[in-house]
Amino acid sequence: MLSIILLSVSGLANLFLGFNRSNRLILPFVLLVLAAVLGVTVSGIDTHGALAVWNQSPYFTGMLTFDRYAQVFTGVMVLTTLLLLPFSQKYVRDGNANLAEYYSILLFSLVGGIMMVSYNNLLIFFLGVETLSIAMYVLAGSDKSNLRSNEAALKYFLMGSFTTGILLFGIALLYGATGTFDLAQMGNAVRAIPAADAGLRPMMHIGLLLMLIGVGFKISAAPFHFWTPDVYEGTPTLFTGYMSTVVKTAGVAGFFKLLFVAFGGETIEFWLPTLTAMLVLTLFIGNVGAVAQTNAKRMLAYSSISHAGYLLLALVALQSGRLSVNAIFFYSLAYSVATVAAFAVLKLVHDQRERDDYDGLNGLARTNPLLAFVMTVAMLSLAGIPLTGGFFGKFYLFSAAAQEGHIGLVIFAVVMSAVGIFYYLRPIMAMYMKPAAEGSDAPVFVGGFQSAVLVLLVALTVLLGVWPGVVEGMF
Amino acid sequence: MGTSLFYFLAFVALISALGVVFAKNPIHSVLFLILTFFAISGHYLLLNAQFLAAVNIIVYAGAIMVLFLFVIMFLNLNTDTEPHKPALAKVTAAVAGGLLLLVLIAALRNVTPVGADAATFDSQIGMVNRLGLVLYQQYLLPFELASVLFLVAMVGAVMLGKREEGERNF
Repeated sequence: MLSIILLSVSGLANLFLGFNRSNRLILPFVLLVLAAVLGVTVSGIDTHGALAVWNQSPYFTGMLTFDRYAQVFTGVMVLTTLLLLPFSQKYVRDGNANLAEYYSILLFSLVGGIMMVSYNNLLIFFLGVETLSIAMYVLAGSDKSNLRSNEAALKYFLMGSFTTGILLFGIALLYGATGTFDLAQMGNAVRAIPAADAGLRPMMHIGLLLMLIGVGFKISAAPFHFWTPDVYEGTPTLFTGYMSTVVKTAGVAGFFKLLFVAFGGETIEFWLPTLTAMLVLTLFIGNVGAVAQTNAKRMLAYSSISHAGYLLLALVALQSGRLSVNAIFFYSLAYSVATVAAFAVLKLVHDQRERDDYDGLNGLARTNPLLAFVMTVAMLSLAGIPLTGGFFGKFYLFSAAAQEGHIGLVIFAVVMSAVGIFYYLRPIMAMYMKPAAEGSDAPVFVGGFQSAVLVLLVALTVLLGVWPGVVEGMF
Repeated sequence: MGTSLFYFLAFVALISALGVVFAKNPIHSVLFLILTFFAISGHYLLLNAQFLAAVNIIVYAGAIMVLFLFVIMFLNLNTDTEPHKPALAKVTAAVAGGLLLLVLIAALRNVTPVGADAATFDSQIGMVNRLGLVLYQQYLLPFELASVLFLVAMVGAVMLGKREEGERNF
């Protein structure tokens, strides 16, 4: 709760900083705020101890619980944002007139993300989804003079608001079937339905199905993924990085909570086949689609679809409880860190060379060895090569799914990650094997602070890969 | 009386909703939509939700419809400029929508409506003061957090709509 208040208030304060002529104050302020929120979250004063008591005052009536689950996923999201924002320095240098608005919208969208992982009531979940989505629609179109960006924003907005309608319809039907928005009460009502009123069962099923569609769109799971490549390509690179990490973490963690608390037990038999089909389709489309791309951003868009597929494995293995929560946590952490590193390099290269296809990365190993190395580590981590965080992320997910007896799914996912290695190696080949094009062989400008953050990103990825126990015991 | 009124309102709502889709002229679509909103407000009244009925008319039939009309007049839409949709898209949309309808009807077929008990029914339940009590006690937190949502939307709209230096739109 404290993190929500801090982020909302500083988002407001930040808007006023935008009145300044100079942009220099805004970035340090936002980084400071995020560091403070991360500190509050990690230290856990929000979760236990005296401050947490007023959470339970009657006014909040169990709308939101800031428990361990919320704490951990809030930490992942805030850390991701904190690591991503230093790469917006070009906006500061260029004197972008809307910088304060960008950062404020990001801070507010984090509030939405936190609501999605700490909700206890579907009303809060819906508000969180909307806050996060509306912020993303705006940021997708933030490069106003770029037609691609306009297209991305419009596409995302139209499709997104349509799916919001579907999500809301699902929530309404669930309310009709169970008579409550509260997660725990909904779980009790769902378990009581067969005895109480069997006629309500189909209504609950259809509500859950519509919610599955709504959330599936937000995390770009197939067959609701069609917007992803176009939107990711058109959105300014910095915000694409945010979209593919924070939105995905919040969506998967929030939906896991819903399924785990309210629709575990016997109801699993209903949604498991649907979710399994979505998972297989998502993995297939994401990985095979990525092979055909020539643009690094589009490739990462398809790769983010495939990672949504891997994360769905944890939802399928829901019965393993702690194991699959831990898998979601570790995977989203490793995936977020690697994705931020990849988008950071793409952003820096794009700022100077103004292109984001594979050929734009040519010769980077010679001009900027650090950038090339960071990109290589990020790609290897996304592919799930040992000694990087991505390996253990996949390992935890697969072992959770295997424990629940989904051996066939695990084998399929392993085959798909083998396909993944093929396309993740292509940027590495471009950087190390091909010479830079004439006239664009000048080193890409990287600030000192940015270099430090890049090194930190690599260090985190390797640390998670060689010592996964460092974040163990969270649950 | 209540039942026949319900059927009448449902009939009006359905017919005018179909009118929204099938009308060639966008202005007619908007007018049909207003009719739909009035019929739905009638349903709210039947459900004893007076406040919602009034808000529905003020916000939807009033403000949002005026916004729609503004946009339509700004863009100068008419039948000539309406994009032609391919037949395949129409067939696919009809099949998908029909399937959704089929599934919804099949799912809700066996639901038995629970009527209100006349002995314990509280006729004041939809009044503004009751609503306020619930909104500011039980639902205070969502109410406050919704302000963040509206703030994002406002900041975003201003950011996207504001004129950049050296740019002229009109």
